[in-house]
Amino acid sequence: MHTFEGISIDELESLEWERLDALPYGVVGLSPEGIVEIYNATEERLAGLSRDGVIGTHYFSSTAQCMNNFMVAQRFEDEPEIDAVIDYVLTLRMRPTPVRLRLMKAPKVDRRFILIQR
Amino acid sequence: MPTDLEAENAGLLQFLYSCPAGLIEFTSTGAIGMVNPAAMGLLLPIAGRTFVTNLFDVMDGCAPELRNMVCNFGAAHGAICDGHRIVTGPGERPTVLACSIVRLTHDRHVATLSDVTEQVARERRLKQAETWFASLLDGVDNVAVLSLDADGRIDAVTPSAVRQTGFAERDLLGHPFESFDRPDRATATPPYGEAIAAARRDGWHLHEGWHARADGGRYWCQRLVAARAHVGDAVSGYTLVLRAVKRQGRDTADLRRMLTRDHLTGASNRAHFFEVAERELTRSRGNGGSLALIVLDIDHFKRVNDGHGHAAGDAVLREAARRCEAELRPEDVFARIGGEEFVAFVPGATLTEAAAVAERLRLSLAREPVDAGGTRLRITGSFGCSALDGHPDATVAGLLAAADGALYRAKRDGRDRVALSDAGRAAA
Repeated sequence: MHTFEGISIDELESLEWERLDALPYGVVGLSPEGIVEIYNATEERLAGLSRDGVIGTHYFSSTAQCMNNFMVAQRFEDEPEIDAVIDYVLTLRMRPTPVRLRLMKAPKVDRRFILIQR
Repeated sequence: MPTDLEAENAGLLQFLYSCPAGLIEFTSTGAIGMVNPAAMGLLLPIAGRTFVTNLFDVMDGCAPELRNMVCNFGAAHGAICDGHRIVTGPGERPTVLACSIVRLTHDRHVATLSDVTEQVARERRLKQAETWFASLLDGVDNVAVLSLDADGRIDAVTPSAVRQTGFAERDLLGHPFESFDRPDRATATPPYGEAIAAARRDGWHLHEGWHARADGGRYWCQRLVAARAHVGDAVSGYTLVLRAVKRQGRDTADLRRMLTRDHLTGASNRAHFFEVAERELTRSRGNGGSLALIVLDIDHFKRVNDGHGHAAGDAVLREAARRCEAELRPEDVFARIGGEEFVAFVPGATLTEAAAVAERLRLSLAREPVDAGGTRLRITGSFGCSALDGHPDATVAGLLAAADGALYRAKRDGRDRVALSDAGRAAA
């Protein structure tokens, strides 16, 4: 259960910090304005950043500029509902790193999620 | 708890993650070692796929020269390029990147990459503006500016006007600007007051003609009269701009004459008449003004041709056109629309005014005989008038038909006379 592909946006919303931290993939939760609200331990490790430095910042302009384009950030603006898995390249610790991204946005949930699997 | 070193490391990473310029470290064959998010954000759309590991491969489509620049760079270290422009992708507005590359060792390079699309667009606009202003300034010696009061008298003079005309300020101030016109017979000049009337009505009036110089000479200039700040409906004054220009070339003038003139008489041709009439009719409808047509036919013209030959007939037509045109204003159009049939197009005229004009034309024909190759021939004409004030909805063809109807009655009633269309016969 709670696999990268199986977990739902409602489950992500209801999970406590400890459970989120225990997931084997990165979890980033954003406000409708793009401010980081959730940043789990796996993503901390992958990116080499501490949660305290990331939460409260604007994700696409300060941490993830490589997603600030039509393939990721623009989709959250344009589409009312998203649940899509895409292949991507992140620059985790400045290394080009092929990853799979799962973009999640639902009409009834304000928060959007990006799941990152190495 | 993170150690100081870990915290510092995270801070450095955060710094690189958030750097607004793209940073790339790569080998001499283009393999990317390190890359920050800004650089990846720029490279991904170029690559068109999400697997980016070699800078040269990604750039192959839009900047294949990067590979060569790095390969052919002879020094062991140093700047390979600085702000090298890369235009990426097709489309009307492609993204433009600026790329700088520094060689650290023979196999280690660092590049910065930034999106300068906006900057390039700004530069282009600036260059256009610069070119525009430069061309204006080139011609600045040719432009003189004066100020006119509400009656068209010069009330302020700039040095440019003194320089262009040679007149001192005191020679110009208080005089109507039109008193410096120097028209000749070959050039049409609007009647006195026309420019101000038009500028008051339409906001501006443009004319090209001869203008006086202080030394007694004249120069050809374009003259713009532009109305200044309206207070309610009143115009407080006008700005007069005189632009010394080279007179329109003879070739152009000849071509224009060929296209608009009747070959025999020098009057306007049929096509030109309809073109002007349609345009003026639309304008008059727009501002509620009138305009009039006067159709004229030389009486018993067949007798001239049959009795004295075609050369005499041609001479009669030429002389009739010359006399009529001399009675008309420059803005009127006098055209030959048939064998011995002419039409005068009189903008602004009511039916009553047109009748007065037609009477002048009639007298000018009948006043003295025409010299037709040694023979002096008495000629007369019959005239029919129609005007927009009688037929507010009429077309040009409708006005022409109404004037023709009147002409027919003038002929029937004994020739050498003017008849007016009656409103009831309006042919719209």
